[in-house]
Amino acid sequence: MPRIAIDRHTLPNGLRVILSRDNRAPIVAVNLWYDVGSRHEKPGKTGFAHLFEHLMFDGSAHVAKGEHAAQVQATGGTYNGSTWLDRTNYYETLPSHELELALWLESDRLASLLPAMTQEKLDIERNVVKEERRWRIDNQPYGTWDEKLQELLFPQAHPYHHPTIGSMEDLDAASLDDVREFFAAYYAPNNAVLTIAGDFDPAPALEMIEKHFGSIAANPAIPQGPPTAIEPIIGAEVRREVPDQVPLPRIYAAYRMPIFGTDGFNALEVATDLLGSGRASRLYRALVREQQVAQDVTTFAFPVIGGAAIFTIWATARPGVSHGALETALWAQVDRLTSDGPTDDELERIHNLHAAAVESSLERISERADRLSMYACLFDEPERINTEVSRYEEVDAGRVREAMAASLRPDNRVVLTYVPAESAESADSAEGAA
Amino acid sequence: MTRTLNPMRPAAGVPRPYRFPPFSRRLLANGLNLWTIPVAGSALVNVHLLVDAGAAAEDEPHGGIAALTAQLLVTGTQRLDASAFAEATERLGIEVSSESSWDSARAAFQSLPQYLDQGLALLAEMLREPRFDPGEFERLKAERLADILQARAEPGRLADETFLQRVYAADTPYRRLSAGSPETVETLSRADVIGFHALHYRPGLAHVVVAGSFDGDAVTASVERHLGSWDGTGPGHRTIAPHHAGLRRLVIVDRPGSVQSEIRVGHIGIDRYDPRYFPAIVMSTVLGGTSQSRLHRRLREELGYTYSVHTGFDARRSAGIFTAATAVQTGVTAPAIGELVSLLEGAREAPFEDLEMSEARSFQVGVFPLRFESTGGIAAAIEPIAIYGLAEDFWQTYRDKLEAVTSVDAHNAAIELIRPDELLILAVGDARVIRGDVEALGIAPVEVVPAP
Repeated sequence: MPRIAIDRHTLPNGLRVILSRDNRAPIVAVNLWYDVGSRHEKPGKTGFAHLFEHLMFDGSAHVAKGEHAAQVQATGGTYNGSTWLDRTNYYETLPSHELELALWLESDRLASLLPAMTQEKLDIERNVVKEERRWRIDNQPYGTWDEKLQELLFPQAHPYHHPTIGSMEDLDAASLDDVREFFAAYYAPNNAVLTIAGDFDPAPALEMIEKHFGSIAANPAIPQGPPTAIEPIIGAEVRREVPDQVPLPRIYAAYRMPIFGTDGFNALEVATDLLGSGRASRLYRALVREQQVAQDVTTFAFPVIGGAAIFTIWATARPGVSHGALETALWAQVDRLTSDGPTDDELERIHNLHAAAVESSLERISERADRLSMYACLFDEPERINTEVSRYEEVDAGRVREAMAASLRPDNRVVLTYVPAESAESADSAEGAA
Repeated sequence: MTRTLNPMRPAAGVPRPYRFPPFSRRLLANGLNLWTIPVAGSALVNVHLLVDAGAAAEDEPHGGIAALTAQLLVTGTQRLDASAFAEATERLGIEVSSESSWDSARAAFQSLPQYLDQGLALLAEMLREPRFDPGEFERLKAERLADILQARAEPGRLADETFLQRVYAADTPYRRLSAGSPETVETLSRADVIGFHALHYRPGLAHVVVAGSFDGDAVTASVERHLGSWDGTGPGHRTIAPHHAGLRRLVIVDRPGSVQSEIRVGHIGIDRYDPRYFPAIVMSTVLGGTSQSRLHRRLREELGYTYSVHTGFDARRSAGIFTAATAVQTGVTAPAIGELVSLLEGAREAPFEDLEMSEARSFQVGVFPLRFESTGGIAAAIEPIAIYGLAEDFWQTYRDKLEAVTSVDAHNAAIELIRPDELLILAVGDARVIRGDVEALGIAPVEVVPAP
C-alpha cells in the first residue's frame, strides 16, 4: 500500500496547511474544511450552515456572482462544497498550472465575502436550497429517513437532533444579519484546514498560500458549538411507522455508537461490513438470498464526532413479505453475529474488500485531499489517512462482539418503518397539500 | 450576461501536457479482442469484459432477457453455488459486477494486482459455465419486477421512463428501459436465459479490457489460459431504427401530493456515429452543461427555480434522446417550462457568443485528464472504442476535435438538432395544481395521464 505524502505547515494566522504531492497527472486538488457544520447552528436557525455554504459561491469583494464557477470551469476544473453535521467543505480540482486560481478564489471569499453580500443573493439561494430540500427529501419516497432517525436518536437539546438541510420555516427566517454573524464567528483561517494534493511544487505553492491567505486575520474567539455530550445508550427502544408514497415497506434501524475516530467506532465499522458489504455478507446472504424476505439491504456507520455516531441498517421488504417478518429476520442475524462473532474467513473477506476499496478511493486526488482535510480538521492528525487499513485490520472477532454487545441493543435502537400509504389521496390529505 | 476579464485573476502557469495512456490491442485466435492499458503508478487492476449481448441483441417479446442474464451470471457457476461464488471472489477483495445496456453486456471487477489471475479465472468460469440456478432465477426475476415498481415511485426516474415511452413511436424498442418492462419480464423463463446465454455469450464479438498495474506478458498468458478455449461467435445485435412518436405535445403525469414537478423537454437526438457529435457536445455544454450554461444561469442563478438543471445527448448505436431536465417547485412549473422551451428555441436564433463558446470548449478540453484519474475510468474509456468500433486514436484526437468546433458549427448543430415542432414536454407532478397554468402557456396540446 503506497503511503500518501504529508507535509504540514501552519500560517501565523492559524491556517493549517497540508501538502500532498503526487505528479502522475497534471491536475491538482484544493480542499478546505471549515470546522463548522449544522451542529453549530442556533435554535431557530436550522439549515443555516448549508445555506451559508451556497452563499459562498455568490461572489466576494473581487469576484462577481457566478464567477467562481465560471473561472474554475473555464479551465476544465470542477468545484463544489458540502455541509454536514460537523463541518463544511469547499473544493476545486483543476489543471495544475491553475493552482493559484483556486487559492485566489478561496482566499477572496474568506477575506471578503460580506462586502459583496446582498439581500437578493440571499433570497435566490434560499429558494435554491428549498428546491434542494424538496428534491432530496420532500418529493422522494423514503426521503425523510435520515432526518427522522436523527430526530429520534438525539434529544431536542442535542445539536444532531435537527437535519443539516434545515426546515423550510428556519430557511425563511434567515437574514443578512445571520450571514454577517455566522461569517464573523466561524469563517476564519484558524478555524480551517487547507489541503493541496496532486501535481504542484511545494515551495511556490506555499508562497502562493502565504500571499493569498497570510493577511487574513484570525478570529481569537471562535465560538464553541453547543455541547454534544450524550448517553451512549438511548435507554428504550423507539419505534415509528411512517405512511408514505412507497410501493414496498422499508425498515430503517439506527443505534447510537461510539464517535468516529475511536476504537469502538472502528470495531462497529467492521461490523457494518460483516453484515452488509458484498453478496457474501451476513444480511445479504440470509435476508436477500436464502430467506428472500428483503429486496435489498444496506449498512452504514456515520463518521461523526458529536457525542455519538450513528449505526444504520436499512432493508426493503420483498413484495408480499410483511415488515414484521423482515424485522424478525433482521434481528436474528444481528443477534447471531453479536453472540458468535465473525469467523476468520469472514474477517479475511472484509479485510481484502476494505483494502481494495481504500486503494480505489485514494486513486483520486480530490478524495485524498478531502480525507487529509477531514483527519486534520476533526483530529488534528492527517497522518490517519495512512493507517486506515491497519486500524481496520486490527479489529479482531473479540472486539466486534464486544462493540456490538455494547451498542446494538434493543434498548439503544430506533426502528423507523415506511409503509405504503393506503392511497395517494390519504397521503395527500395527511400532508395537507398546499 | 457577457463577463469581462477580471484583472485580479492570477495568471496561469505553464500547462503540463497530458496524454491518454497508450494501449495495445491484439486479437486472440477465438476472436476475442484483448486491450491492455498499463497505468503508471496505479495500485489496482481493472478487468472489463464486453459481450455483444445487450438489449439490442434481444427481441421485443423477450425484452429484459439481456439484463436478467447478465444479472444472473454472478449467482454462481456449475462448480460453485451462489454462496460459494460470492465467497470465492470476495475473499480476494473482488466484487464482480455484471450488467447490460442497450449496446453491450459487461462483466467486470477491480482488484489488487496480486489477485488478477485468480480473478480472471473466476470471471471466465462465470461467463463460460454459469449455474443459472432455478431458485436464483426466480429470485432475481422477482427482484427485477419489484425494482421497476420502486423506480416508478421516484418522480425523477418515473419522468425518465415516461419520457422514453412517449418520445419514441410504438415500433421503436428504445421506448422502454433496456432492462425490460414488467409485461415482458413477467414472461421470461429460465430456458430463455440459458438460450440467450448460449447464443450470445461468445468470444467472437467480445472484448476484454485490462487496465492498471500488471505484467503485460503475464496478463496475456492469463487471458489465453482462462478464455483462450472459449469458442464461437454470436449473431450480434439487431439494427434499431428510431421513430418519433408525434409532434409537439405536453404530457403531465399526475402524481398527487407532489411538492415538486420533474420536467423533461426534448426529443430524439443523435447516434454515436453522427458527424455532428463534437458540435453537439459543445452546443449542449453551452445550453446546460456547466454552471455558466444558459439554462443554469437563468433557472437557478437568476430565478432560483431549481437546484439543478442540465441538458444532454444519450448517443447510442442508434439515436438516443436529447433532453433538458430539471425539478422545480410545483408552483413555478408553468413558467419553468416556458423558460426551458424558449431557451432551447432561442439557441437556434443567433450564433453563440465567443465567450460562452470558449468557456464550453475549454471546460470539455480541460476536464479531460480528470475523467481518467482512476484505473476504472481508463478501462471504461476503451468501451466506446471497442463497442462502436471508433478509431483507436479517438482519445488522442478528442481534444483537437473539440477545439475545432466553431461558433457556426455549434449554431448549426442547434438549428439541426433542436426541433421545436417535435418537442415532447413532460412534467411529473400534481396535475390538480399545475394543469391550468401549464395549459395557459399555450405552447402545446396538454394531456394528463395517471402515474402507473
